[in-house]
Order: sequence, then structure tokens, then C-alpha cells
Amino acid sequence: MGDCLQKLIMSHHKMLNATDSRIDFEASFIRLIDKVTNGSRIEINQTGTTLYYQPGLLYGGSLEHDCSPSRSIGYYLESLLCLAPFMKHPLKIILRGVTNDQVDPSVDVLKATALPLLKKFGIDGEGLEIKINRRGMPPKGGGEILFACPVRKVLQPVQFTDPGKIKRIRGTAYSVRVSPQMANRMVESARSILNKFLPDIYIYTDHMKGVSSGKSPGFGLCLTAETINGTVLSAELASNPQGQGAAVLPEELGQNCAKLLLEEVYRGGCVDSTNQSLVLLLMTLGQRDVSKVLLGPLSPYTIEFLRHLRSFFQIMFKIETKTPEEEHMGGEKVLMTCVGIGFSNLSKTIR
Amino acid sequence: MEEKEKKKHRAKHSGPKAEKKRKRYLNDLGIGDEENARKRNPKAFTVQSAVRMARTFHRTQDLKTKKHHIPVVDRTPLEPPPVVVVVVGPPKVGKSTLIKCLIKNFTRQKLVEIRGPVTIVSGKKRRLTIIECGCDINTMIDLAKVADLVLMLIDASFGFEMETFEFLNICQVHGFPKIMGVLTHLDTFKNNKQLKKTKKKLKHRFWTEVYPGAKLFYLSGMVHGEYQKQEVHNLGRFISVMKFRPLTWQTSHPYVLADRMEELTNPEDVRINPKCDRKISLYGYLRGAHLKNKSQIHMPGVGDFTVSDVSFLPDPCALPEQQKKRSLNEKEKLVYAPLSGVGGIVYDKDAVYIDLGGSHAHEKEEEEVRPNHELVQSLISTHSAIDIKMASSKVSLFMDSRPLGSEDVGQEFVMPKEDRQIDLKTGRVRRKALFEEEEKENDDAVSDEEDDQEEAAAMSEDGSDGDDEDAEEESDRELLGEEMALRRTKRLKTEVAKEAAVSELPAFADSDDDLEMSSEGEEGTTAPEDNEMEEDEEEEEEGEQSTYENGSSDSEFESASEKVAESKQHEINSEGTEMRSQISDHSLKRKAALTTDSGNCTAEEASESEVENSSLDEGDDEEGSRDESEVEESNRKGIRDTEAKKSGRIKPTKLKSVEAEDDDVENLLREEEEYEEKIDFSADTTGALKWKEDLTQKAAEAFLRQQRSTPNLRKLVYGTAVEDEDQESEDAGDEVGGLFRVSRPDKASKQKANALDCSKFLIEKPQDWDLEEVMSSIRDCFVTGKWEDDKDAAKLLQEDEELYGDFEDLETGVVHKGKPAAEGDESGSEEEEEDEKMSKPDPEEEEKKKERMDKKRKLKEMFDAEYDEGDATYFDNLKEEMHRQAQLNRAEFEDQDDETRVQYEGFRPGMYVRIEIENVPCEFVLNFDPHYPIILGGLGNSEGNVGYVQLRLKKHRWYKKILKTRDPLILSLGWRRFQTIPMFYIEDHNGRHRLLKYTPQHMHCGATFWGPITPQGTGFLAVQSVSGTTPDFRIAATGVVLDLDKSITIVKKLKLTGFPFKIFKNTCFIKGMFNSQLEVAKFEGAAIRTVSGIRGQIKKALRTPVGAFRATFEDKLLMSDIVFVRTWYPVSIPTFYNPVTSLLKPAGEKDSWSGMKTTGQLRHERGIKLKQNQDSLYKPIVREKRHFNKLHIPKALQKALPFKNKPKNLEKKGKTPKDQWRPAVIREPHEKKISALLSALSTVNNYKIKKAKVKHREQLKEYLKVKQKEDEQKFKRQKEAKKKIYRILGQREKKMQKSSLKGSNKGENM
Repeated sequence: MGDCLQKLIMSHHKMLNATDSRIDFEASFIRLIDKVTNGSRIEINQTGTTLYYQPGLLYGGSLEHDCSPSRSIGYYLESLLCLAPFMKHPLKIILRGVTNDQVDPSVDVLKATALPLLKKFGIDGEGLEIKINRRGMPPKGGGEILFACPVRKVLQPVQFTDPGKIKRIRGTAYSVRVSPQMANRMVESARSILNKFLPDIYIYTDHMKGVSSGKSPGFGLCLTAETINGTVLSAELASNPQGQGAAVLPEELGQNCAKLLLEEVYRGGCVDSTNQSLVLLLMTLGQRDVSKVLLGPLSPYTIEFLRHLRSFFQIMFKIETKTPEEEHMGGEKVLMTCVGIGFSNLSKTIR
Repeated sequence: MEEKEKKKHRAKHSGPKAEKKRKRYLNDLGIGDEENARKRNPKAFTVQSAVRMARTFHRTQDLKTKKHHIPVVDRTPLEPPPVVVVVVGPPKVGKSTLIKCLIKNFTRQKLVEIRGPVTIVSGKKRRLTIIECGCDINTMIDLAKVADLVLMLIDASFGFEMETFEFLNICQVHGFPKIMGVLTHLDTFKNNKQLKKTKKKLKHRFWTEVYPGAKLFYLSGMVHGEYQKQEVHNLGRFISVMKFRPLTWQTSHPYVLADRMEELTNPEDVRINPKCDRKISLYGYLRGAHLKNKSQIHMPGVGDFTVSDVSFLPDPCALPEQQKKRSLNEKEKLVYAPLSGVGGIVYDKDAVYIDLGGSHAHEKEEEEVRPNHELVQSLISTHSAIDIKMASSKVSLFMDSRPLGSEDVGQEFVMPKEDRQIDLKTGRVRRKALFEEEEKENDDAVSDEEDDQEEAAAMSEDGSDGDDEDAEEESDRELLGEEMALRRTKRLKTEVAKEAAVSELPAFADSDDDLEMSSEGEEGTTAPEDNEMEEDEEEEEEGEQSTYENGSSDSEFESASEKVAESKQHEINSEGTEMRSQISDHSLKRKAALTTDSGNCTAEEASESEVENSSLDEGDDEEGSRDESEVEESNRKGIRDTEAKKSGRIKPTKLKSVEAEDDDVENLLREEEEYEEKIDFSADTTGALKWKEDLTQKAAEAFLRQQRSTPNLRKLVYGTAVEDEDQESEDAGDEVGGLFRVSRPDKASKQKANALDCSKFLIEKPQDWDLEEVMSSIRDCFVTGKWEDDKDAAKLLQEDEELYGDFEDLETGVVHKGKPAAEGDESGSEEEEEDEKMSKPDPEEEEKKKERMDKKRKLKEMFDAEYDEGDATYFDNLKEEMHRQAQLNRAEFEDQDDETRVQYEGFRPGMYVRIEIENVPCEFVLNFDPHYPIILGGLGNSEGNVGYVQLRLKKHRWYKKILKTRDPLILSLGWRRFQTIPMFYIEDHNGRHRLLKYTPQHMHCGATFWGPITPQGTGFLAVQSVSGTTPDFRIAATGVVLDLDKSITIVKKLKLTGFPFKIFKNTCFIKGMFNSQLEVAKFEGAAIRTVSGIRGQIKKALRTPVGAFRATFEDKLLMSDIVFVRTWYPVSIPTFYNPVTSLLKPAGEKDSWSGMKTTGQLRHERGIKLKQNQDSLYKPIVREKRHFNKLHIPKALQKALPFKNKPKNLEKKGKTPKDQWRPAVIREPHEKKISALLSALSTVNNYKIKKAKVKHREQLKEYLKVKQKEDEQKFKRQKEAKKKIYRILGQREKKMQKSSLKGSNKGENM
């Protein structure tokens, strides 16, 4: 199955009017889609402006893919996260390219936020993992990750309305091909801000060396805040790519990242802003039961995604705005409710 | 007189008295009842054998768990659809009679002829849809899929017929509905015993098919052509209390058993082309799962369609309102069967029809047996749908009044109609709403028309009702056909005028009255300018009259329009100040329109706005007007109003279009502000703590805005609900001159084109988190912050203290008192009595009471938890979870009205729906026969696609033939019936799928075909043909879907042979296997074998001859050997998928559909003999005599062998040479005489000896005979003697024993 799903993903990654530099990563994305499917038909006209796509069957299996370094792996991984649970065989894919950049959600953030989210829907077990083998920073990349995901026949409905209170903050400060001191400096500055709220903060420093450090220098920080109910909110920042923009001080970056996290906490919700679309999709693809999720303000990407969901699955969400009753609980929240479409993974073989 | 004999006393053997007596008796004996015994003798009741106890425990546990089913979420609707009762049986068994009797039983109405399903109310909570199923296998298959209950009629006088078994098998495959057997024709049995026997025999056979104990009902004789009333009544009661199990397929797919069909095709189209595709609407109860609009459906017997429209109608056969009484009254006993012409009121989407039967209906009734026949016929045979006719017909209620059309009925106000216009410039469709009256006026003034358009647009946007109205508009659209043509010419004129205006006006403006316009404003830099100017001009024209018009004038450029806007704002302002909560209708509606406008903004914009919103930077705004400061203030308060977000999209850019937007935003803001009573005009935003001013007031405003923003978020995301659909339909009909299509860029794609898509929600200017106030806004999001009352640890501890604080230390006797909950608590308990006396308690008191109740509840919960949790198993928990989910499902949308509910969850089962379908083949309408069921089966998400489907298949054991690969077969799978070409295979031990030529006789095999994707685990059945009747069993095979794929894995074996042409030791050159070096290269390293079993490997290609190669073997080959390589060749499956379109056949021939024929059938029909391959013929085996060379052992080896194994080459004795011959002896005459005499003597002697020997043998024989006789006699004598002795001995022994028993006597005797 999943043709609708694939179309959805494809339409979400805008394919039309590819006139500029976008073409290379979109081509890479199409190649990736071609790899994970069986029987897809992809036709691109000579000027590269129109794409005909006939969805095939999600096949999965053990694969490798070289992602274009103009977008980070997160760009590809986000779509794979949507597709992977509905493959015929469990997906185990090695993606190569840029692991962290300033545009897309980094692999670290997806690892920390998307995987716990998948688990809520019953996609868990040993097979589910994201592993960063090598880090690669833009512009040259050279990173490598492993993404593995088991397959499920149906997804469980979720009632995810109480985010709970934040009990701990974790994070990763990474640095490649720069002084290992950078990471420590970031950690210190981030802590200085976050300590005003919570004592339980631990930020790992991750300095990669040698072959696992990719081809370009850079550093960055990902922070995640975990609540007592298992909600994970995240924020991240990365340094400017080599040769682009001014040099960034690690202290400044750390502080900014911490503030971004606070901003994310202010927005709140049970799912952080990066994964809003993922949770909505998985809710849509659930059984014919009511699912609920509390989100922060909807991002424009999510709004667009909701429209796609309606055009592909004829599903509308009940959207209610909720103001937190207490004063110091951050901004307004949005309660999204929907009835799943009763999707079941048709490609999974039964014995 | 003799006294009458007295009755003897009879002791009681049962009853309480006897019991008492027995007990007393037992007690006297010291053997009490069991309880006593247990006390008295505990050892007797202990565990005797641990093993046995374990076993019994196991067994009970096994039996318990066997009863468990996997719990599923109960998704049955609160008001379920009618139960589908299918009455099935062979012809002449009494199906129609039974249905009539049942209907009469339930409704007291007598139906003369029944066509199609009949829905009746059978009880307070149950309705039935009864439908008859003929013997056509198509009908049987279709109805088995939708049946909830099957009444299986069996002619007892005849016994089971093939149809019965076929239907049972069909049911088994497609989920097993409840089946109840009904035996009829029982009155033909004269002999009671015979009857009993037959009943029993049939019952047991039925049980083996269904399940042991399945209900079999007996309908004995007929009275006046009907079954006996009491029996039918009983049967009815059985039906109305029956429980049904949910069937997987049915609960996971929406479906409708249509009970009414209308044709909606434009009569003009039909006139032009009688064979054109039709548009029809079908009516029926929705069953199974939720149905969504635009979803895919399958009509068995017709094909796949996309639902073009769904709407729900009032229930024509509704259940009675809940009353506390036992039975229904006569009014509530409804019957609804439009196909049979029963059921007085027929609802349509926008009309209600009352069937009066015409003024002469009663007369006809007397004449004809079938009163309603005519009406239905006319319904069916109409060329135009009734609503079209209705629309065109007019009624005048009073003399001289304007005749009323259908559109006037049921509408309080005159509805705008829709007209579509095409903007030539951008190629976008604009929907124009028209009023009847205005239309006439329009004819003279072009500019007026513009106004109308604007006004109508505003009208149609009104509030949330807009959706419904739009839908109604759609239905009205047909009427507008003729007006369209007129309009088109006018439109051209207006467009010319617009273009002229473009050249005149150099200024920019933006209008926000229309969704599309605003979105267009963002398209680019050049195109929007034109548009805007057009818009602008329009606005100018209408400025004075349109009160609905949004104040979207451009304040900076045109003073005139600004004036208008201002005046409007004042107007609104005055309203707003008067009643803020109840803003007048118009302004509210306008609000809605405004928000929809912003709802269509592109994603990027929204993000910008978001970013802007979160930012507090004042300096970046060139305009720096009061509006903005207002926004910023509201932001600082931390109230994230979505509306404010939308309005907050102010960004300094060089693009003028965006500037224009800013103006628009400004206006918007201004209005909003004026609602809020102009808080501070001279907002000097430099003050850092400005936000603290007027906190309460701002809170109130925030609340208001909050109230308003709630519905807006939905509009922001989805726009108005119907908008998209309208556009789609417009797209379809958008042709210029019927020849060319206007191609215009997709709006959606345009919006997206230039943005980088990224799921990250960027924050460009975060709040200043160093500020204490900002920090405090999220203080409680952390565990270190303040907790809610019910979760705060300190508070909980305190509560626990209250609950468990009191206890007495038993050892020391000290009584610990818990701390009182609060100071007021004690007094509260004291005041409890007072509370009761007092009629109205204080709020404080009430609170306390509530607290106490809470406390009690908590205690109870704890108690329950302690005692109930213990034996909750995994299964119980799972069940509980499912139950909770089911409750949530029910409760979530319960309070919403059906209109909105339908949007969220789709049409729910139980609703009476009307489904419009387009592009239906005309044969369906022309050859419509209500006797055949029309089913609309909803398809899952990808079930409309085709691909390769793998099955596990088994030939039915009652089917006489075996099935051949590559022969077409008709499958019934999912909702569908279709013909396809399956290929059979069997799975080898290594997972290889090897092609089979035929299905195995008594074994499962795999099958793959090209056909519709259907979920795994779905059952299917196969028949060879659906036409005609055969005495044999028709179901050829059954099975289940295993896997779906886009590629196939079936292979067949292919052996390539070659011959050695040069043999070395173990190497040899082989030719004839391949045709080129390339082929050889592909097979390098492949294992090869000779027929005699010598294994080898392909090594490398040779240059000459072409295709030859070098190979090595484990032994030396002979030139006569044949070498082969075994390969597997993938088989391609013919992509043949042909739905059975039996409903399209003319009436009376619907059971004669025939598709592709098998090659066997064709050969048989045409008389073509199969040409057999000469090689496959059997020939007598001729074996040539083979000569083998002698085994040669080398001399050296021979020497080494032991003598035993040495070859012994014994040469034949040659003739002895003459010199070695021995000389012959020649005797003398005397010697001759002697030797003659000697030989004569010896002869005599020999003879004598011989004679003596014979004699001696005879004597010996004689002697032995005598001896034997003597021996026998001797033996006899001895035996007798022995007998005697033993008898004596035995007697003595007996005596001895006797004596020994007596013991003492023995001694005396001795």
C-alpha cells in the first residue's frame, strides 16, 4: 500500500518548477523513494519541470543511499520516518551526507524526538533505531547514519493530551574538525541559562575524530527537554558552514540554543514543532478510533500538511484552541482530534 | 359392615420434611453433612494427588482461555442500521411467501409483490431489511457479503439442494453470517414417523455444515397460501432477539444495500447520445464503517466508481423515539420499500415526495393486483430525475401570485445561484452567485452585475452556513445552464472594461473579500498588480452600496476609498461598543470572511507572520503605526491569538504587493482595535513595562479574541469546507467553446513553488528570555514549578495524612490523630447536620461538601484498587482499554450536529444516505431490474488499485475437475467478482515458487493473479462460470489472500542440454547448450550434470564453435553422454482483470454473463483437435544389445594379486595328439569267452541280488505293519492302566484334601 502515503510524501516535497539548485537534492530524494519502493514509475520531462509519479509498493529491506549534501539527512529521514512502518520488509538503511545543518532538523533531534513518538503508536521493539556512525557538516558532508525501523500492520490510536512537566533536559554538543573545547564551551553557556529552571541538566559532548568526523568542520548543540509523561521537546543550533557567514562563538550558540528550547517550552504541546506533521500523519493512519494530541501553535508546514491530509485521505481534524488554565504554563495550545482512516499495512506478508 | 380399609402411611421420600429427617438420622449416626464432615475429618478432604490437582487446574484454565476472543474496539453505532436478512433457497421453496408472511407479521401490511429490499421496524430497537436471494450465483455471492442473518429455506420433501450448499460455502468464505435454517413443505409428509426421521436427518446434516446446535426452524403446513401465523410469529421473535457477531470485512468497509435508484443525467445529453454515461443517485442505509466523500466504491456487477457526492437524509424508516412501553403501536410499525413502491414519504436531498398514487390510484387498485407497480415503473423509466422535474414545475398558491418553483420551497430567503466565470487573464474560475430578480435587471447594466457578484460572494461566504448553501447551490446549477450562455457574452464585456481600467489606474490596491483574490495577490510581482487594479476598480464602483464590503481600501493611495472605509469602520465601531459579545451578524460574517482570507495565505507567509508575531522588535517597521504597537502589546501579554498572528504579518519588503497587503492588514487591525474601544491611541511603545497597564481590560479583550479565534483556526487550515470541492467541479466543466480547455497553473502548486520546504518551525526573533517576566511565563512547565492541586506532592501527602492519619498503636495503646485537613474541616463536620437543615448552603459549605465527597471517593477508589486489581489479567486490561477507546469514540463527536460531524468522521453507519455517482454505464440504468441487489461497497485506501495478488488456494473437494494454470477463472474477492487468469504454484523447501500445470487434487497450492489489491487474510472463492445452471457443484476453489506485490516470483524449470565434442581427462568441451559467448559468460560457474549423474561445472567460453565452453567433471565423460544445466525461468502472469458486469446485462439475461473462455472450451466448440507433440507420444522402447570389451588387468597388477583373485585363464583342453592316444586292446578268443562268461554270470548275480532285495523289502514292510498293530494295542492297554491308576490317585488326593480341611477329623480317620 502506501501509494496514497507516497503521493502525500512526494507532494509534500515540492517537486515542481525545479529551476534552481534545488534540483540535485530533489533528484536524490526521488532516487531514495525509488529505492525503498517496488514498481514505482517516475518520469521527469527533459526540462525537469514536471514529474509524473506513479506510486509503487513500499518494499524496504537493507539499503544504502547517498544523500545530496545540499540538504541534510534530516530532510530525507523525515519522509522515511513516515514511510518506514508501512514497508513490506523492515527497513534498514544507511544514509550518507550531512548529518547536521541549519535548515533541516538534524539527525540528533529526530533521534531524540521522533523515535519516542513512533513508540507511542506501537512502532517499537528492537528494530527501531537511529545510529550516527559519522558526523558530517555542510558543505561537504561525509556523515553516515543507520536508520532501522520495524514494520507494523496497524497503528494504535493515541490520546496524548497531557504533556506533563519537564523533568530533565538532555542534549548533545558536537564538534567535528574543530577544537574539542568548543563543545564544552557550548555546554557551559547553555547550562547557565537552563539552570534557572531545572537542576537536572546533562549535555553530552560528542567530539568525533578521524574518519568519523566527516569532511567539513563545524559544531552545534541539540537540546531536548523531557517531561514526566514522556513528551520530548527539542531545539538545536549549528554553526555556520565553513566559508559561509561569519564565525559563530560557541558561547553565543549555546545561549541561543537554550533560548530556543525555552521558546519551544513556551509553545509547549505534547509533540515538538518539528514532529507535528509526523504525529498528525500517524494519527490519520490509525485504526478507526479517535486520536487526540495537544500541540503548540501549528507551524506553516503543518498547516500545509493538514491540507494535504485532507486532499489525500479526506480527513479533517477537529481543531480546538486551548489556553492553559494556569498562568505560567506557556502559550496557547491546539488540541487536534481525528478519527483514523483505518489504514492497514497491505504490503506486510502474512504467513 | 366391614370397615373401609385405611390408607397406609407413606413415609416422605423427598421434600424438606424428608430432608430434615434424613439429616437427623445421619446426625444420630454421627455422619453429618459435608460441611460437618469436613470439620470432622479434614484429612479426607486434603489434596490427594498434587499432579491430578495440577491437571484439573490446567484443564479448567484451558477451557476458560479457549472462550477468549481477541478483544476489539466496539465500533457499532448507537443507532445501528437495519439488520440485513437474506432469504435464500432453491426455487419454489417458499421464499417470497415467507417474506410476505414476515412483513405481515411485523407491520400488519400485506405486500403483493416484493422487489428489492424491504425495510421494516421490527421492534423498539431493531429494524430489518429483508431481501430475497435467487439462485443466480452472482446474487448469492453479493448477498452473502452483506448479510447479517441468512434464512436458509430447505424443501424438506426434497432434501438439500446444491444451491443450499453453494450458498453455505460462499458464506464460509466471506465471513460467516448468522445462519438459520427453515424447513418448509413439511405438510407433504403423510407418515409421522417418516417426518420425524427426515427432520432429524436434515438437522444433523445442517449441523455439520453450520455448527452443532444451529437453529433449524420448521414451518409445517400452509393455510390459505400462507404459513401458519403462530409459526411465523415465533420465527419473527427469533429474528428480532438474535445477536450477531461482527464480521471483519463488513466492519472494516462501508457499504450500502441500495433500496432506491434515481437517474440524474441531463436529459439533453441522453437525447443527443442515448448511450452516454449516466449520473445516478442511490439511496440506502450506510452500514459497516464510516464513509467519506470522494472515496472509492465498487458496485458488484457494475464496476468501480468514485463517489461524487454523499449526503445524509432523514431516516425514512426511523426507530420510534424511546418510550417506556413494551411494544410498538401501529403508527410506529413502518415499512419502507421504494423499489416495491411502499413507504409513503420519500425524501430527497432537497425535497420530500409524498406518494399519493395519483387521483385514480384507488380505481386502479381494484383493477390490478399490483397497485404500486405502475408508479415505480414510471419512476424508473423517467428520463429526467424527479428533482429536475420538480425544479422546473411551478405552483401558484393564490390567484395572481407569482408561481413558486421548487427552489422557493423550504428556503426563507432567496438563495443565490451559482454562475461560473473565467477570468481570461489568469485563467481562474470565479464562482458567481446570482439572484433571480437581479438577473433580469442585469441585462441592461453591466456595472450592476459586478456589484451583484460582489454582494453574492459576500453572501455565500457568510459564516459557517456557507458550506450548506454552497452545496445547495450546486444542485441548482443545472438550472443555470441556459443562463450561462447569455452571461458569457456579458462577461467578455466586463473584462474589456476591466482591462481599460488597468491602463487608467496606476495605483496598487488589494482586496480581501475573496479568498482567491488574496491568494492571487501573492503570486508574484507583475501579475497581481493587474488583478489588484481590477479589484480596485470594482470596489470603487460599488463603494457606496455594499455594506458587506470589506474595508479593504488602500488608505495611502486613494482618499475616496479611504473615506468609505473609515465611515464603515465608524459604523462598526459604534456597534461594537454597544454589545461586544453580540457583534452584529454582518460584522461577524465579515470576520469570518476575513479569516478565511488569511486562511489561504501561503505557508511562508504564515511563518513570517508567526515570526513577526513572536518578535518584539519595534524598530523594523517603517510604518510604525499605532496598529502595530497594539499588536506588540498584545504579544507581550503572551496571548497568542491566532487572529493576531494573521494580522501580524507586517514585514518590510520591497515588494509592493506585500506592501499592499500591509495596508490590508492595517485596516484589519484598525477594525479590531476599534472593537476594543481604542485603548490607547498614542501608544508610545518605548516604555518597557507598558504591558502592565490595564491588565484586566486586556484580559477581557484577550478572552474575546480567544472566543473569536477558535473557529478561525479551522478555517485557517481548511478554508471554508466546500471550497475545494467546488473548485474541482468547476475544473471539470471548464471548457471554452466545448473544444479547448483553459489550462492554468494549479493554485496550490503556485503557492508552494518558491519556498524551501522544511518542517522546522523557525523562530527568528525569540523572546528575551533574560527578562524575569518572560521567564516566569513558563515557570510552571517544569517540575520545579507549581503543580496543579490534584498532582502536587505536598498537597497529596497532606491529603493522605487526612485519610490515614488516624491510627491506634495496638501495642502501646497510643492513639495517633491525623492532622486536621484544614481549620475549617472540623467545623465542617460539625456543621454537617446543620447543612441538611439549611435549605440553601453557602458556596463555602458546598465546597467543603464537595471536598468530603472527593475524599470519600478517593478512599473508595483505593479500596477498589486494593481488592480488584489482584486478579486483573492481561486480557482484562486489554478489554478495559478497548472499552475505554470505544467510549471515547462515541463521546468525542456526540454533541456536534450531523453536518460538522460528517466532516470530521465521515458518514457514520446507520445514516440513510444518498450517494451520487457519475459515469455509470447506460446499460445499468436501461437494464435496471430491482430484483437484483445493488450494493455499494466502499473500498479501503489502496483497494482500488491492481497488482499481483498471491493466494493460498484449494480446489473444492466437491468440484469434479481440477483447475488448469492459465485458464480464466472467476473469483469473488472482497466486494468484487471478476475474471482473471491465475497461475498455480507450489512452494519448494527453499522458498522457491515452482509453477504447477494443474491444481493438486487434495492439497493446498499457491496461486498468483493480476487483479485488485485486497487486504491479506481476505477469503475468496472461484467459479468457472457464472452463467447458466449445471447440476454439478459450481464452486471450483476456495482460499485466502496471502500477499500483495508489484512483482512476481513464480518460476518454472528449464533444462539446457549440450553435448561433449572433445573429452580430455576430466575436462571436456561442450557445445550446443548456448548460442553465444555472452550467454556462457552469464552461466560461468553454474553446476551441470550428465544424465548418468556425473557432476561438473561450467568454466569458460571457447572461441569456436560459438556458444561452446570448457567444463570440468568429477569423472571422465563419454562421447555419448548428454550434459544439462538446470535453470529457473520466471513466468510472466497475464495482466488480465475483467470485472463481471452481470448487472449490465438486459433484464432476464442477468445470469448469463460469460467472459473469456478457456482454451478447452474453445477447442470443444470449434472442434479443433489438439496437435500433440510427437515427442510426447509413447513409443515402444527398443533396447539395443550392448557389447562390452573385456576387462583388462595389467600384468603387474595381476602379479600382485593373491591367487584367489588372480584371473584363472583355464584354457580349453585341446585334442590329444595321436601319439599320445592310448593303444586299443585286442583280446584273444579264449579271453573273449572268459569275459563273456564272466559278464553273463555277473548279470545273473546282479539279477539275483536285485530280486532278493525286493523280497527283503516286502518282508520288512509286513513286519512293520504287524509291529505297529501290536504297539497300538500295547499303548492302549498302558493308557487304560494309567487312567485307572491316576483316577485312584486323584481320588486319594481328594480324600486327603477333604480330610485336611476338616483337620481334626483327619487324625481320627487315620
